[in-house]
Amino acid sequence: MKKIISILAIILTISTLVSLAAEPPKTAELKIKTSAKCGMCKKRIERDLGVSKGIVHSNLNLDDKVVTITYNTKKTSPEKIKEVISKIGYDADEVVANQKSHDALPGCCQKSAASHKD
Amino acid sequence: MRNHIRQSTNWQFLMLLLIIGSTSFAQNVNGVVLDKSNNKEEAIIGATVNWLGTKTATTTDIEGKFSIARAKSKKLIISFVGYKSDTLDISNETELRVYLQSEYQLQEVVVRSSSTSMDRLSPIHTEILTSKALAKAACCNLSESFETNASVSVSYADAVTGAKQIQLLGLAGTYVQTNVENIPSIRGLATTFGLNYVPGTWIQSIDIGKGAGSVVNGYEAMTGQINIELQKPDLAEKVYLNTYVNSLGRGEINLNLAHIFKQKAEIKPKWSVALLTHGSTMQTTIDKNNDNFYDLPKYTQANFINRWKYESDKMVAQFGIKYLYDTRLGGQINKNPLSLDKLIYRFSNTTNRAEFFSKTAKLYQSKPYRGLGLIFNGVHHDSKSQFGFRPYNGKQQTLYGNLIYQDIFGNTNHSYKAGLSFLYDNYDEKFADLIFKRKEIVKGAFFEYTYKHLEKLTAVAGSRLDFHNLYGTIFTPRLHVLYNTTENTAFRLSAGKGFRTANPLAEYFGNLVSSRTVRFLEAIRPEVSWNYGISLTKTFGKSNLIIDLFHTQFQNQLIGDTEHPNFLYFYNSQGNNYANSAQIELNLMPIPRFELKVAYRYSDVWQTLGKALNQEITVQKMFVPRDRILFNVGYALPYDKWKFDVTLQYNGQRRIPNLSTTYVHTSYEAMPIQYAPAFVNLNAQVSRSFRRWDIYLGGENITNFRQKDPIVTPDNPFGSRFDAGSAWGPVVGRVIYFGTRYKLGGRI
Repeated sequence: MKKIISILAIILTISTLVSLAAEPPKTAELKIKTSAKCGMCKKRIERDLGVSKGIVHSNLNLDDKVVTITYNTKKTSPEKIKEVISKIGYDADEVVANQKSHDALPGCCQKSAASHKD
Repeated sequence: MRNHIRQSTNWQFLMLLLIIGSTSFAQNVNGVVLDKSNNKEEAIIGATVNWLGTKTATTTDIEGKFSIARAKSKKLIISFVGYKSDTLDISNETELRVYLQSEYQLQEVVVRSSSTSMDRLSPIHTEILTSKALAKAACCNLSESFETNASVSVSYADAVTGAKQIQLLGLAGTYVQTNVENIPSIRGLATTFGLNYVPGTWIQSIDIGKGAGSVVNGYEAMTGQINIELQKPDLAEKVYLNTYVNSLGRGEINLNLAHIFKQKAEIKPKWSVALLTHGSTMQTTIDKNNDNFYDLPKYTQANFINRWKYESDKMVAQFGIKYLYDTRLGGQINKNPLSLDKLIYRFSNTTNRAEFFSKTAKLYQSKPYRGLGLIFNGVHHDSKSQFGFRPYNGKQQTLYGNLIYQDIFGNTNHSYKAGLSFLYDNYDEKFADLIFKRKEIVKGAFFEYTYKHLEKLTAVAGSRLDFHNLYGTIFTPRLHVLYNTTENTAFRLSAGKGFRTANPLAEYFGNLVSSRTVRFLEAIRPEVSWNYGISLTKTFGKSNLIIDLFHTQFQNQLIGDTEHPNFLYFYNSQGNNYANSAQIELNLMPIPRFELKVAYRYSDVWQTLGKALNQEITVQKMFVPRDRILFNVGYALPYDKWKFDVTLQYNGQRRIPNLSTTYVHTSYEAMPIQYAPAFVNLNAQVSRSFRRWDIYLGGENITNFRQKDPIVTPDNPFGSRFDAGSAWGPVVGRVIYFGTRYKLGGRI
């Protein structure tokens, strides 16, 4: 029983540390206009940004296709973030979408697709 | 959209369309319920419309129209069999236009969001392990998939073969009907290693039904029913590559490929294909306890499925082939240096298994509650083993067919499934000088009626009648009731009979790694049991509390009696043989992305032994711990960028055979009862997601607990007391593993 309690204590400590470590230190906000088309694009961009280095939070507004990004200034930069979006397959401000990634997107998400929102 | 969030990759179908005609206040809410699946609107007749948590309800008329008086509740539920129910928030709308989504489209694209959940709508107590829960324990096949589940426990059966067995409700996995996509799969001779034959990366989700199962899938579900859904050709990633390596030297590679044959852009593709492959091997010599026996056998496995899917407006057809090759070598590592002879005790097994399956369903577009399905499956299973001097050869051929028709009586409050089934099993086993041949031909018919009263009550009464060429007519009744007292509280009741023919050698395979003489005291009759269960599920927010109680009473049970150290006796049970199981499980999500699970399970399982000496004594069943505690905590960053998971299991004392080499078994009544000590098992895993890659690092049995002497007289494997079939704990200690997953072309 002692063993169990000590193990539980370790687990709790680790999980507390983890949640503390997840607190962002120094962040900035950035708005980037993308070539997103639909909800699928939104999901894809937010997910892929979410697992990219230094990104704390992102939200893409489908009305104006602008993604608002909170990022850790020590770990990444606006240039790098635009590069990431390009690699996902979308235009990011002046950076044009990586052609290979763009062509791999489903038809409805490609730039040639008609505008739709759902 | 209702209580569990369902995400649909088919985003067009995600949202229910709601057009508000007028905003002026009125006493009644009027509306029309429609189906728009073939690009034309059709009225849904007989759909139930009711206010959540009230008794105010109505049904739609022949034009799909309804009118319902306003109630205190602001949530209006619209439901119809074959369609996904929907809940609307109503403030002062008066004219509604509701499009229900056919379940045919939704069922297969559902990705459940939390890792383990209860199936809220199923009248059978069903837990769902999603791909998320499966990723918590990254290694490796079905036998490891239940690590974070409180209901199912997995253990090594012996210290040599590496076979793993599950327990549910305190009883062996053989009493659970294990289906792969609703085809009875891990049964017959496959019960020995079957759990090792389903690679984890092939699995999309697992449903664990506790208690008597539905009659639609046969009579074999005695304590539960597990259904495994594999990756689908039209939904899986185009490329999914998984590699795994662990500190024991086990290496794995899994490659899944999927392709959709696209036609013109505007036409929905009809054909898709997937190839799921697996290769794994371990060639290192592991003997941590220095008993000159391999702690785990060296093994190699190759395994693949090629499956095809055709889908049109009128039908869905799936078919494919499976093939498995598995070879393993265990036993003594070197000759015994002290003995003069050159004998060495080896265990080996080579299994070849080939299978084909097909599932065809006819759809009725305008009547989604109606359906006709046909399942076909053929298996050839060939297993060759050597236990020291004793060879074992087992062959099984199985043909299975199941025809299911579903429809409603009048309206969708009364629905039914009816059908016919056919089973052909041909067993041919030889062990040393024992020969077993058995040919079973079973023709069956079943009928299952479902009564649904709003969202409150669902009752399912089913029965089947089977005509068995060896055991005559078998009648199998089953009953399930789900009652929602409030939106968040559900009671479930179940009762049902189960029947199966046992395969003693395959089921007690681990016990054959011993000097025990196998003796059948009489002809073994089929096993027959009754199972009764009751459960309560209470959800609050994203957390829930589950309490269940189950009782299994055997009319006949196969007893594999290992009380005498020199014998393995098989006989039909006498007297009282039963299992009681109680479980309380609490799942908490105190903050987003933080999951906590605490569960306690109590198993009280008794058998009546003694036929070998004409005695009758009811004792606790061996190898079943009375108490088990599971503790699991998981934390993830958004989008699972980092994921942490820790599982702790406490396994209480369990009864074991008397393994003392000086023990002489002369009486059941006076025999001393021995227990194995309780132990703790700790597993942990960290994973990191990138855009296309996941990597994970984990540890199993981190506290490095090992059973000290899992083998009796390992230095004398040809002596009369040798026994490797009585292991109760882990034989190998700590295992550290590392793996990667690469995914390309996900359908999002």
